[in-house]
Amino acid sequence: MAEIKVENLHKEFGVGDDRVVALENVNMEVQGYVFVSIVGPSGCGKSTLLNILSGIETPSSGTVTITQDNRDAEPGYVFQAARLLPWRTVMDNLLFVQKNRSDATRERCYKYLDMVQLGDKVDKYPGELSGGMQQRVGIARAFSIEPDVLFMDEPFSHLDAITARSLRRELHDMWSQTRKTVLFVTHDVGEAVELSNRILVFAKGGRLEDDLQIELPFPRDAADESVAVVKAQVLRKFEELDLVAT
Amino acid sequence: MATVVTTAPTRDSGLRQVLKSPRTARILFPFAVLALWYFIYYTIDSRIFPTPQKVLQFMWEEVTLTSGVRYSSVAANLYVQFAISIIRLTIGFFVALILGTVIGLAMGISKSVDAFFHDWVMAVLAMPALVWALFLGLALGFSHLGPILAVILAGLPFVIINVREGVRNTPKELFDMARAFDVPQNKITRHVLLPSLMPFFFAAIRYAYAIGWKGLIIAEVFASDRGMGWTIKFWYDAHRAHGVIGYALFFIIFALALEKLVFDPLAERAFKWRPKVDALEMAEGDFGAVTGEGFLLQESQVEDIVAIESMEGEARDG
Repeated sequence: MAEIKVENLHKEFGVGDDRVVALENVNMEVQGYVFVSIVGPSGCGKSTLLNILSGIETPSSGTVTITQDNRDAEPGYVFQAARLLPWRTVMDNLLFVQKNRSDATRERCYKYLDMVQLGDKVDKYPGELSGGMQQRVGIARAFSIEPDVLFMDEPFSHLDAITARSLRRELHDMWSQTRKTVLFVTHDVGEAVELSNRILVFAKGGRLEDDLQIELPFPRDAADESVAVVKAQVLRKFEELDLVAT
Repeated sequence: MATVVTTAPTRDSGLRQVLKSPRTARILFPFAVLALWYFIYYTIDSRIFPTPQKVLQFMWEEVTLTSGVRYSSVAANLYVQFAISIIRLTIGFFVALILGTVIGLAMGISKSVDAFFHDWVMAVLAMPALVWALFLGLALGFSHLGPILAVILAGLPFVIINVREGVRNTPKELFDMARAFDVPQNKITRHVLLPSLMPFFFAAIRYAYAIGWKGLIIAEVFASDRGMGWTIKFWYDAHRAHGVIGYALFFIIFALALEKLVFDPLAERAFKWRPKVDALEMAEGDFGAVTGEGFLLQESQVEDIVAIESMEGEARDG
């Protein structure tokens, strides 16, 4: 079981008058088979938090511990833009992040590409794929290393509504099958309610303001009334916390 | 109630399509040059300016070794002169490329190294090739070394600048992706850094060759007793414009052949991952508003595949 523990996490950029606090004294724990969304207004430190958790950035102070069964957990990352190597084929992009290129590894890559319905595109270059397909490759890449923890930074924000909806369903299916710990950054409250069983609410200045449990049954459809009701409740909570943009 | 009338645009006739195509334009250009040439010949009053047929006849005689001209004991004909120039160019080109790549990489990676070399690179870049040729001629006399150094000095700053810019423009987001997935450094270098440098490296190659060629010819004109540049001067001293123009056309033919037979296939192979823009997609992007206004775009009208930005554009932009 994966476990993420964040204690007194603080991150600043710049010095003196240019100092910006991206994350302020964040404390949180996430463990097990759970889909956690991180929501908040622009500039509240959501992506910074994910970058620190994945090791891309270092904190100014505080500790981050990510473990799986008493060892360091292996993270996977899905970015806002797919960040594929344009000069490598779809299969080579998945192989790039693997520890080896054995037959078993290739089989595993094929399996996850089939799960995102791109099994017939393994020899295509990213430039030959649509934006939605590229993002699916990004998702397959992250899942293909069979990580203990999955970090996803607004992976559907660049896509049109129809494609994003389709990919949310695929993501949910993959999460259900693989039973990972997922941290999912989004600015879309409806998306967070549709996908998550827990929502962490961040405010500008990088403060963790609230931790909401979403107890609707899966699978959820964004068009369902129950999802809309919970979304409205979450948005009211945003207003209470004065997080609505002015 | 308003009625929207949709009208399909009139399709060009077959002949008009052929006349408007890029391939036709490329074929027509030499004929346009010939027409202009004849116009100039019949317009200016000059005993020197040759006709195209005189130049072509000269070139044919040089190629078939039937001109009766023996340039010198060490370099008697076109082929020997050409080989001398090509060997000098090749040596100078590879030295400029290797040295320029090393310096460019270092300048791109390290601010201190960049500061150390920056002014020197700009100074060499600003120096006219003629000055190098004259200086090297005085310093080294008539030798192979002078023209080779001229090639190096002409091409080196372009290689350095292009490679340095390549390093500075490496895609940070791909490095972050690799770090997020814990990819080892050697894999990052091989699969992220080096491929991302390729467009800049190709531009560096093209510049090193093109600018080096020019530096070589000038050096051979002023500081050599053999080579293509020296041969041009030979015909200039003899007041034979057809010789000067003929040898200039030999350069052009060689440059085009190298482009088509070497650079283009290499670029095709190195950049095969680049998408060719589908003309229908491009049309939909360009004509989205037009279709909204009621024009009906026939899919059959957008058949050809359009290649996106050529390497020539990148070579120009560095």
